[in-house]
Amino acid sequence: MATWMSDDGLDTRESICEAHTLITELYDPANQRDPAKINEIQTRFQQLQKTDNAWAIADSLLQIEDSPQHRFMGALTFTVKINVSWHEINENKAREIMQHLINRFVALVTNGEQTMVVRKLASSLITIFRHPYARWTRAVWQLAASLVHGGYISEEQSQTADFREQILPALNKNGSGALLFFSIALAEEALQLESLPHDGPEESSALRRARLNAKDGLLLVQFILMEIMQQAHAAGDDAVDVALATEAMSSWKAWIGVHGNRQHSSAEDVNDLALQSGRTVISTLGVSSLSEAAASILTSAFEGRACVFLGGSLDLLASYVVDSNVTSHIVSVANGTEGSESMSFVDLLIAYVMYRHLALFTDDTDSKARAVLQLVHGILKTPGYAAIDDLGTPRVLEFWNEVAESVPGDLEKGSRAYDFVRDHLAEVVISLGNKMLYPTPEELEDWSDEERSEFNAFRHEACDYLLSAYPVIGIDLVTVFQTKATSCLHNLDWRNFEASMFCIAQLSEAVDENGHADQCLDAIFGSDAFARLCAGADTGIPLKARQTLVLSFGKYERYFKRHNSLLPGVLNILFESLNFELCAQAASRSILALSKSCAHVLTSDLPAFLDQLDQFRSKPTATVSTMPRVLEGIATIIRSLCGDQERVQTLERILGFFVQEANTAREEVTGPGHEYGRLRAHLVLRCIASIGKGLRSKSEVIDIETNQEGNPYPPSFWNSGPGAETQRLIMQAMRLLVVDFPVDNGIIEAACDILKAGYTERAGLFVFPPSMTVDFIKSFPLGISGTDVIMATASSFLASHAGHAMNIRIEAEALIDHVAQLFASMLQKPETYDPETANAGIDFLARLLPKYYQILFTPTKSDLGTDSPLAILLHFTLFALTRPEPLPLRSASAFWVALIDLRGSSPEEIQIIDSVHQEFVPRLCYTVTQQIAGRCARSDLIYLTDALRRTIFKKTALARPALSAALDTLNAQVTDANGQQVPVLTPHDKSRFLESLAIARGAQQQSLTLVRAFWLKCRGMNYDYAQ
Amino acid sequence: MSLCQNRLQEERKQWRRDHPFGFVAKPTRTAAGGLDLKNWECAVPGKTGTLWEGGLFKLMLAFPDEYPTKPPKCKFTPPLFHPNVYPSGTVCLSILNEEEDWRPAITIKQLLLGIQDLLDDPNPESPAQADAYNLFKKDRPAYERRVRLVVRENQPN
Repeated sequence: MATWMSDDGLDTRESICEAHTLITELYDPANQRDPAKINEIQTRFQQLQKTDNAWAIADSLLQIEDSPQHRFMGALTFTVKINVSWHEINENKAREIMQHLINRFVALVTNGEQTMVVRKLASSLITIFRHPYARWTRAVWQLAASLVHGGYISEEQSQTADFREQILPALNKNGSGALLFFSIALAEEALQLESLPHDGPEESSALRRARLNAKDGLLLVQFILMEIMQQAHAAGDDAVDVALATEAMSSWKAWIGVHGNRQHSSAEDVNDLALQSGRTVISTLGVSSLSEAAASILTSAFEGRACVFLGGSLDLLASYVVDSNVTSHIVSVANGTEGSESMSFVDLLIAYVMYRHLALFTDDTDSKARAVLQLVHGILKTPGYAAIDDLGTPRVLEFWNEVAESVPGDLEKGSRAYDFVRDHLAEVVISLGNKMLYPTPEELEDWSDEERSEFNAFRHEACDYLLSAYPVIGIDLVTVFQTKATSCLHNLDWRNFEASMFCIAQLSEAVDENGHADQCLDAIFGSDAFARLCAGADTGIPLKARQTLVLSFGKYERYFKRHNSLLPGVLNILFESLNFELCAQAASRSILALSKSCAHVLTSDLPAFLDQLDQFRSKPTATVSTMPRVLEGIATIIRSLCGDQERVQTLERILGFFVQEANTAREEVTGPGHEYGRLRAHLVLRCIASIGKGLRSKSEVIDIETNQEGNPYPPSFWNSGPGAETQRLIMQAMRLLVVDFPVDNGIIEAACDILKAGYTERAGLFVFPPSMTVDFIKSFPLGISGTDVIMATASSFLASHAGHAMNIRIEAEALIDHVAQLFASMLQKPETYDPETANAGIDFLARLLPKYYQILFTPTKSDLGTDSPLAILLHFTLFALTRPEPLPLRSASAFWVALIDLRGSSPEEIQIIDSVHQEFVPRLCYTVTQQIAGRCARSDLIYLTDALRRTIFKKTALARPALSAALDTLNAQVTDANGQQVPVLTPHDKSRFLESLAIARGAQQQSLTLVRAFWLKCRGMNYDYAQ
Repeated sequence: MSLCQNRLQEERKQWRRDHPFGFVAKPTRTAAGGLDLKNWECAVPGKTGTLWEGGLFKLMLAFPDEYPTKPPKCKFTPPLFHPNVYPSGTVCLSILNEEEDWRPAITIKQLLLGIQDLLDDPNPESPAQADAYNLFKKDRPAYERRVRLVVRENQPN
């Protein structure tokens, strides 16, 4: 025994004794319910495992005869100690440990040691194998020879006996089992080492050595499996050691993984052996007690892309699949007499056909391929719901989907193989038709949410297949479902109708636009049965079928545009469907889609739709998710009416109702039902905004760049003519729900949408007086949630009048002044600083700058006392650059970029802009320099650099002295290696930074790199990601 | 076939074989019905037990020619109300940024799971839209109300 493992010495003996006691206590049933005690024991034992005495403790534990738990912990302690002492193990010590562990391993196996201990000790052997000084190569061979020999023999000695012919036959059952554990552990270690990044020669050396064992590992597999097969033939299935055979198969999978992952290990003999042992594994499918394990192993080998399934093996596997107990299991699954317990056989079938892919179809006379395909088709006929009772169908579908997707690119149209595949794909379509049936409400009640989702996911997967198969099968595919849908509609077979319509709806992606399926759709939507449905006849259509039908209308928007005579009936069904919670969402979507695409032909039906709307608006299904869509659809139709006179009556009818609702909301919100009031207000404004959206004409949109017309609010039909009352209704509703109404983000957003609805039109119901927008925006106090939406509306408002900016000078000034007041307030009381207001206000300024800078720079009036609004605004934007909040900082940077880029078009304008630049560029340079000198967050650098690079590029003459002066103010110091205080930046650093920036000439990436390096130098290198 | 196409074919196979429950990811189809492997339609479900539960949020993945060296662009369609989603719908997430945590080994499955995590765990350090960010920071109940509305409007069919 090596000295380092000796148990001499009092201290060592005490440690050993303590370890024995600890393990006894650890497994003492009395302690099992005391987690604190167990934890205490484990902690102490772990301490012992890391001491110098751990070798002796491990060895002593391993020799305790009557306790496998002690021996297990002994093996574990060896592993721990090898890892802990990894860097102290030299060549001699590594050899001694290996030799010692092999001896212990052989002794334990010879004495019939329990599996858990053998496995654990095998794992200790692997740990020392990994050590670079172990220099252990043919480990499987050497360990086998040692087992036969009855103790350690060297690697050289072991090679004197032939592994296959002499050593393996001499192993007894215990020996071969134990060797197998070691072999699997070694293969798995190799796989794990492959997946790790190789930082040094250590891992790659262990990996290289492990790979050299592939041949011996596979020989061992072959030997064990052949022995077991012979036993099975001689003594029947009961004589089979299933556990050992399963281990052998797992070992095969692990070694082919190691072998297949590296080409340089692909020696021909190993290839042959991998194939040969693979055929043996396939043959175990014929042994009933092993077939399931074999099926699982083979499936995972296929999924791992093992390169061991060549011609002969594949043919052998096909034989087992089509004519063995494997076949019986697959057929039983398809019959529904066997379920999840036999899915491994179905999985094998799928893995096989996935591997063969289109090769299965190249020879239509191949009887085995035909039989295999027959089995695959059979799975689709499994009784029960796919993904719920029938687990095979979703898996088979994956295969057919891959085939369908490959056909157009891989097979020549019209070829024999193409036609052969097409026939199969068509057969799948027929089978799937039966699997799409949605469960009855009673059945659905017993399903969990997850089961419902699973089944829905399957239906979408199935439709994905239909879309993949459509380019191959063509219109016949739609015909299958159309025929079924038509006949079911006639017979009021709603479940089958729903399933067929579901498929037809999903196929719209392939056929709606091109009209290929119009005849099929005519057969359904032109039928008498459908006409009865449209007329509201009492057909008893259940909700699910209605929901699917309603969805299909929206999916065939273009078809209905081509067949617009069907629209009134279809919309009748849609409006009726709004009353049902399950259908309301889909119905409102379809109403909007069809109204948009077919507005012109629906105008004559408008009165009927309005009646339907009157009924719908009081229903519980009329929510903020459904009603705005319906109103947008109706408004789209109203827009198509001839003339404003006709439009105004209808709109007045609709809007009158919303004013009533607004009054109700206002009453509710002051009482106990204030939440209802808020919700009602939100719904009212959202609906009015949707009407505005629907009325917005795409063709009459004004071009804001060229619209030079002077009057921003010219008299029109809608503000001073017969439409004025209708516009007044909207303004009234707005006033009721905004002025002195509790502030609410949703309400603000909806109100802003109403205002914005008319910004792109010159005259219309939603073109309000400009003062309305200004008053609305000014009515909100500092700091409310929704300021960003409000100010974005202000920006849109100014943008819509950009063509005649000076004609809305009063309104623009009022808005600028409002922002200046908000900023002044935040500057005076820093505790009120609101990042949202800051960001929204600065963003507003940045957007108005190109068209409204004259008004910004030369205000005529202000409510701001002595400070000019411009000074406050610019000061605030500089202030925002120094704040930690990211959004105001980004907006401020964008603002300064816009300001630096600004060019006047007349000498007066140029002079105004230049004077602003003269005054503020130095201040901007100072602020940005301070920030990039390590004060700002790293993520802000990109934005600050934008402002800096534009300034230095466009305003070089102003910027260079300003930056130089700003850099001179940076005088932070650090302690150097000698303990001296030295400046962070030398004058040379500063001038070089400035020169480099100038040379970069505003280039984005170059400037950013310079600024990042500068920031890092000022901040400290420990902020470097690369460190 | 290019590296990009090969990888996307493999991603497609892997996704078919194993994808997280409730997620959708499939290449779009060309006018002729073929697959456009460089543009995928995806959908991410809101995580159970979060505000986003029950919603299914659609997004497009656009793969550049340099994929997997460069990451795909992920864009919610329609744009999603979320602090880390730009107004255009583009997702702001470090694993989608070539200069941050993108690695060619990241799979579509990992990307979509990352986006699902982001839904309920926004990164306030990296705001992408003012609307959701401000509400998230300033008025959490209003933010949650708005998310619930978004969830209602994005129910699976």
